[in-house]
Amino acid sequence: MLRHASKMILGQGLRSPPTRAVAVGAGTPRMYHERVVDHYNNPRNVGSFDKNDPNVGTGLVGAPACGDVMKLQIRVDDDTGKIVDACFKTFGCGSAIASSSVATEWVKGKQTEEVLTIKNTEIAKHLSLPPVKLHCSMLAEDAIKAAVKDYESKRAKSNASEEAAPVEKAADA
Amino acid sequence: MWKKKLYSSTTLLTILLRTRKIPKIHSPNSVSHKNITLLDPLLQTSASFSSSSSSSPFVEIEGLSFPTVGGIFFGGPTFHRENVNLFTKKKNSFCSESKSAKKLQCWNCDATADGTTPFLVCQSCRSVQAVNHSINYFQILGVERKYNIEVEKLEGKYKNWQKKLHPDLVHSKSQREREYAAEQSARVINAYRTLTDPLSRAIYILKLENVVVDEEERITDPELLAEIMELREAVEEAEGNQALNQIKAQIQDKMQYWCKSFEDAFLNKKYEDAIASIQRMTYYKRANEEIIKKL
Repeated sequence: MLRHASKMILGQGLRSPPTRAVAVGAGTPRMYHERVVDHYNNPRNVGSFDKNDPNVGTGLVGAPACGDVMKLQIRVDDDTGKIVDACFKTFGCGSAIASSSVATEWVKGKQTEEVLTIKNTEIAKHLSLPPVKLHCSMLAEDAIKAAVKDYESKRAKSNASEEAAPVEKAADA
Repeated sequence: MWKKKLYSSTTLLTILLRTRKIPKIHSPNSVSHKNITLLDPLLQTSASFSSSSSSSPFVEIEGLSFPTVGGIFFGGPTFHRENVNLFTKKKNSFCSESKSAKKLQCWNCDATADGTTPFLVCQSCRSVQAVNHSINYFQILGVERKYNIEVEKLEGKYKNWQKKLHPDLVHSKSQREREYAAEQSARVINAYRTLTDPLSRAIYILKLENVVVDEEERITDPELLAEIMELREAVEEAEGNQALNQIKAQIQDKMQYWCKSFEDAFLNKKYEDAIASIQRMTYYKRANEEIIKKL
């Protein structure tokens, strides 16, 4: 406690939480798991699809307490219902980026119904996320569900009417 | 938690009953609406007394009457004043220093706090006092408890406090005082930092009203998220300091707008709106941090 207090006084400040995407070399006691670092250094599936494309479902979720925002997009084959491609864009900590990256990897090649069963606990386990970062994996799970929901509602709309359906985002998780 | 608190009182009991055989303690007033059972592991005695105000103020222990206050037996002359708080205030946090709201006393010279300034340092002997969490940050820095405070005034008060309780000033004093100085100083620093930054001030002032911003909440508001997404992308793609500064200025404007919005919501006790404002401010703050990193 004394040391903690003196650290504060010396201005070594603990103000900003160690959640910024900093490579492990910073030497902080809280380390990112190597898988997280890998996803951060070698990002896979970063990018954007055209959200007006009827085959694309876009899931946009955010964690306001930490200022994270995550976008996950899936491209679905209409005939088979299989997710043929996925991409993501996440602004947030390393764990959030890695979680969404893992999510895009896992949804590829699966059916839309199937990916709804992906649980945040699986993502968290895969990345060895510490308890304080579990909400990042929750965010990724939410993003997957939101993307599927968006795609489904687009399909429903285009089936219902002839006109081009506007993109409808899920209003609640 | 009850048992833990009561245990410290049982040690008094044990002192008093040390030479006695295991007594059965009966309260003369057995009719009560609340009963506290005291378990003393040393004596394996159980004493039960009523916590309601009993007409008979005495508890009988082996034929001896002991005075009680509010039906609760405190012990004899060795009774320490702090224990009043254990029984009279339910949610009082137990601390080695007296936390009674009525009288704050210096641990060193027993002078009472005069109540004009927050009791961080004794006026008479200048000893640093233990941290008292019931003194909030606004009180420490001597500003009104409202959102729209004058930030310039904070620095002066902060420095004044540090002149009195910085750990460097007490390095020749007792271990106890050095610890107090370290904790007290850290608390003052926290107070200063929390109140100078508009966002942390907003979160803190809500916390004082017992409205806590949920750390793990997730949102799917498409408009807000799309806006933030675009903002962050713009920051990422911006080339050159001019472009970045432009975006920074835009963010400043938005921050001011939402600070005002928070204040209005807070004053009208519309805490949902207040939290929404805080969320916005958090997002803008993050974007701002990214810009600063790039600059």
